[in-house]
Amino acid sequence: MESKLTRGGFAYPGTTLVYKTGSWRIQRPVHTHRNAPCHSACPAGEDPQAYLALLDEDKPREAWELLVSINPLPAITGRVCPHPCESVCNRGQYDEPLAIHSIERYLGDQALAKNWAYPVSPAAENAPHVAVVGAGPAGLASAYHLIRHGLQVTVFDELSEAGGTLFTIPDYRLPREIVRKEIERLLDTGISFKSRHKLGREIHLPELQQEYAAVFLAPGVMKSNEWSVDGVTPYDLHEGLHLLKQWSDVASLPAMKSAAVIGGGNTAIDIARILNRNGVDTHIVIHSSLPDPDKPAADDMRAIPREIEQALEEGVQIHDHHGVKRLILRGEKLTGIEILRMRKLPDEEGRLHRVAFEGTESILHVDQVIPAIGQVVDAAGMETLLDGKSYFSVDDWGQIEGKENIYAGGDAVEGNGGTVTEAIGNGRIAAEAIAAKLRQQQLPTINKSEPVHFNSLNMEYFEPSSRVEQVILSVEERTCETEIEGGISGLQAAHEANRCFACGNCLRCDNCWTLCPDSAVLKTNEVTFDGSFYVFDYDYCKGCGLCASECPTGYISMVNE
Amino acid sequence: MNEDTQTVTPETLMQLRKNQPRFEGLESGHRACLGCGEALAARLVTEAAGPDVMIANATGCLEIFTTPWPESAWRLPWMHSLFENTGAIAAGMEAALKAQGKPTKVLAFAGDGGTFDIGFQSLSGMLERGHNVLFVCFDNEAYMNTGIQSSSSTPHAAMTTTSPPGSARMGKQNLKKDILSIVAAHHIPYAATASVAYPSDLRKKIRRAMEIEGPTFIQIHSPCPLGWGHDGADSIKVARLAVQTGLFPVIELESREMIGSMPIRNPKPVTDYLVLQQRFRHLFQQGDVRAIEELAHIQALADHNIKHFKLRGEGMDAQDSDGADTVCRGGMRWA
Amino acid sequence: MRKALEGSQAIAQTVALCRPQVVAAYPITPQTHIVENIAKLVANGKMECELVSVESEFSAASLVLGAASAGSRTYTASASQGILLMSEVLYNIAGLRIPMVMTCANRAISAPLSIWNDQQDSMAVRDAGWIQLYCSDNQEAVDTTIQAYRISEATELPVMVCMDGFTLTHTLEPIDIPDQKMVDTYLPPFNFSRALDPLKPTSVGTLVSPDHYSEARHSHHHALLDAINEIVAADTDWQQLSGRSAGSLLSVDGPADAHIGILTLGSIFGTLCAARDTFTELPATKLIKLRSYRPFPVDALRQACSELTDLIVLERALSPGFGGIVSSEVQAALTHMASEVRVHSFAVGLGGRDMPLEIYRKLHKQVEVAVPAPFSIIDVELEKLSAEDHGTGAATN
Repeated sequence: MESKLTRGGFAYPGTTLVYKTGSWRIQRPVHTHRNAPCHSACPAGEDPQAYLALLDEDKPREAWELLVSINPLPAITGRVCPHPCESVCNRGQYDEPLAIHSIERYLGDQALAKNWAYPVSPAAENAPHVAVVGAGPAGLASAYHLIRHGLQVTVFDELSEAGGTLFTIPDYRLPREIVRKEIERLLDTGISFKSRHKLGREIHLPELQQEYAAVFLAPGVMKSNEWSVDGVTPYDLHEGLHLLKQWSDVASLPAMKSAAVIGGGNTAIDIARILNRNGVDTHIVIHSSLPDPDKPAADDMRAIPREIEQALEEGVQIHDHHGVKRLILRGEKLTGIEILRMRKLPDEEGRLHRVAFEGTESILHVDQVIPAIGQVVDAAGMETLLDGKSYFSVDDWGQIEGKENIYAGGDAVEGNGGTVTEAIGNGRIAAEAIAAKLRQQQLPTINKSEPVHFNSLNMEYFEPSSRVEQVILSVEERTCETEIEGGISGLQAAHEANRCFACGNCLRCDNCWTLCPDSAVLKTNEVTFDGSFYVFDYDYCKGCGLCASECPTGYISMVNE
Repeated sequence: MNEDTQTVTPETLMQLRKNQPRFEGLESGHRACLGCGEALAARLVTEAAGPDVMIANATGCLEIFTTPWPESAWRLPWMHSLFENTGAIAAGMEAALKAQGKPTKVLAFAGDGGTFDIGFQSLSGMLERGHNVLFVCFDNEAYMNTGIQSSSSTPHAAMTTTSPPGSARMGKQNLKKDILSIVAAHHIPYAATASVAYPSDLRKKIRRAMEIEGPTFIQIHSPCPLGWGHDGADSIKVARLAVQTGLFPVIELESREMIGSMPIRNPKPVTDYLVLQQRFRHLFQQGDVRAIEELAHIQALADHNIKHFKLRGEGMDAQDSDGADTVCRGGMRWA
Repeated sequence: MRKALEGSQAIAQTVALCRPQVVAAYPITPQTHIVENIAKLVANGKMECELVSVESEFSAASLVLGAASAGSRTYTASASQGILLMSEVLYNIAGLRIPMVMTCANRAISAPLSIWNDQQDSMAVRDAGWIQLYCSDNQEAVDTTIQAYRISEATELPVMVCMDGFTLTHTLEPIDIPDQKMVDTYLPPFNFSRALDPLKPTSVGTLVSPDHYSEARHSHHHALLDAINEIVAADTDWQQLSGRSAGSLLSVDGPADAHIGILTLGSIFGTLCAARDTFTELPATKLIKLRSYRPFPVDALRQACSELTDLIVLERALSPGFGGIVSSEVQAALTHMASEVRVHSFAVGLGGRDMPLEIYRKLHKQVEVAVPAPFSIIDVELEKLSAEDHGTGAATN
């Protein structure tokens, strides 16, 4: 008997606090950070919702800093990445996906315009030194992340300028001025760059292994796949990537009136568009399908759908589901090709294979056939590592299987999709692994958890809001030099950032705090240990689950006591 | 990251609790059921009303679960007298404060029984005499405290312990009383409905009523998981559906004229709302033609509300809630 | 200064002197004149208060409860059905230990409907936990009203001042209304320590479990018993100030050595005094006026009755199926006296029936019997009833 009965039985304020209703609970709410789909899908490893959050809080510089802590080349990827993040964006199931690539480009361009410095400092002089071979996106990304990890880096490239494959992307998609600015700034972080150093020529693998603590190989794919029709090729065969480089270097092309580009990747589309711009009647012949949003993408052309769309707009004729049956030669000179319809069909064991349909043959009168069917690694100087294969085989961290302290990334790695973003991701991951190794630290576990599903969000708390669209030059306005897609404004970027659902993360929206009938959610001034702005007071939480039901972002889940 | 790494000590928690950036009129430790709509509504009301108030509370769940002597969850001067006299108790408080020259605002809290039924006379007297009292009705549509008996707020066809469905009955026979119109007919300056599913709208209305000198009335639709038979985690969902179907119109009246409503963008079928609640389960009995008829009846009631109160949003971009339920980063919507 | 005033008018003026801040009432005969007179005082600026004309007695009691809980001195008045309607609130006020004063203009209870005086109404709420003080004339009612505020605020118990309807409320008598200064001296401003206050936000009216309910009842019961001291002190102090006693717990009129006593509550005391003075041939009689019915002054009563052989209890209400209400309590109070007092129990003057002086003679005749007769309504006229409604055990007087 602690309390003396008060006169009339009155009670003092807030005294129910002595009664811990938390003892009723059989389930408790917990904050569960889960990957947003955009994060899981990003080949570079970006967490777009995280920098969108900062942008939404009107902190563009902090947003950029967070972005470049993963991807140092946002002005480039914001232009050329096929943005798988947007394909999986949960907002796409509500109204339209976020224009993540537009934001990425906006932040990259802002950084260039305002000359923001990367948040990194040069390595100490006695820090271990790492060699990077190849100054394409994978090599540059790895070099940048190695610097971030406090290591010294020297990058070797056979060409006179860093950039690698980035310079094969036409200016109308990726102005070289942007590439140069971005790379210049990146190299300025303290990376030592040695141009005109080719593996097997000026430098050799055993020396690198001896002189450097680790080696990261990002040589790209420099050797085109062999192409012929039944062993026959025209005498003046030009290969797609080669033509692109030529165009990029000297802005000229072999004379031709019409051409058939064979292949469905970005190289095929790029060269076709350039030819088309130069007055060539251009066709693309490809086994696989044009992308169709209503059909599964399994057999789609590999090029970025947006680029395919623009190519079609510009007048490139794409013959999908077609293959070349015969070259029509007058002497060694090509006058046309015979093509026919093909389909992927399952065989007796259910495996898909291509079947050509006799009787569907037709003739394309072209004076050039340009194969763009992919490239493989030029093995020069790396024969021992490739062991006769076309690509490097690496583990999750980019280490070449069985080779201590030798890592590889970018297009040279087996199974890569050939995107800049993926190459950047390879570079970052390998740098992380190298840094951990050199510091004799444990490698972090790779988060492969399922991203937040649309159904675990609460759509009642969002209003429809239209996606920002970049301004695109009309077909008539397009040239080889002028960038087709414009950027977005700061206001548009803010609008877009505000559309982000923050899937699986704390939106700081106060829903849990506001809707708890038991005042068992307390709001904090600073971000808490778990990355939210709220603390559950389990002394009083009865475990009703309202907060979890009403959390708009799926950040709260109920677990059994 | 999970709770195992939580480093918050009990002292920090208590300190944090004391420094919450809102007024906490109703403290934790009360004995409301899991997911109680009324507890949430009461907290929201007191939060919006602020500390300079005095509360008269009718007998009912809210009174019972907040004040098991020697404890009280209230941080406001609060009094429970009886079931049917809340309007008069509040009127007396108001008269006293007026005589003492104090600006403290008086709030009256009652459930639907204490408002629509047994407390109706003293409510009417309070309203007619023009006392400066904000009367808040926590409407959970039955006598929950005594074990879910039917009140005049219980909706048509709902099952309660005194309106059980059977071979001769399909739940409550009569309609839910239109208390708002009756209240407004006292020529009071402000009368509104609100829902716990729309806290911003609710608090906005409380603040509006607090500013008005004279009697004001707010009816808050507050789900009762136990009495309605739904999961406590679904309280907000259920309340929201009541609004989105048109069964609970969220409207504002000033001097009997409708001055605002929460428009419905896409009215949902009433079955979306009903099917979540055990009190309507007899309406989903396969092969019972009476059930089909009752469902049609309830849909007709919702359709009628939507038409009568003009709840369909007009224009191209009619929002279902005036954006009241839209979140944004940083919680600014709750301001 | 003595003025000829109607009882209700005098009460209204007295209430005004006590400076209540909130007055709420609902009209019921014979209480109406009190409230109407208060309304006039307010209308003429002679009384400053919130006067609220509510929609029922239930709300009248509730409103003053709310007001008193918020720290204001309050007043209400009612009668008969009104008292019954507010009975739930009366219990509540007392249980919450909220100080306040109300006037009960005593009236019979329906059915059959009667608007005239008896005391069945206040008797019906005997157990509500209020202090009940019965007044025998309007001067006493005036003085008791003032004292009631002091008693109530000192004991934190509500006080019901009972005055017979019409007989007192509507009767003109010369009355000394004290001046404001005297009342202010006697009655300090109301300062209720448990008043609701946003700066000290307590919760009033909680749910008490079986662990503490008995203790709440014990404390309430003893608060009433202990209020005896305050009732005595309040009257003593008032007497010093005004020169008048309002009758303390009870008062005795008659020779100290008389063996027969008659105990009454309220205004019939005056009638009995007149009868005693008329029928001088009858044995010497002590007339006992019980003013404090709740708390019941057992000790004072035993002392007043110590020389008696017979005590006639004449009351204005009954408990059907048993009989006298007051008499049964008196009988219980007088057990184990040094010499036994025989208690004779009668009701009289129900529903406004006049009590003729003759009754006095009739009462004395009752004392002569060997064994006290069972309770009866002494002025009943059985010939007005059908034979089958006479009752089998009814005595014919």
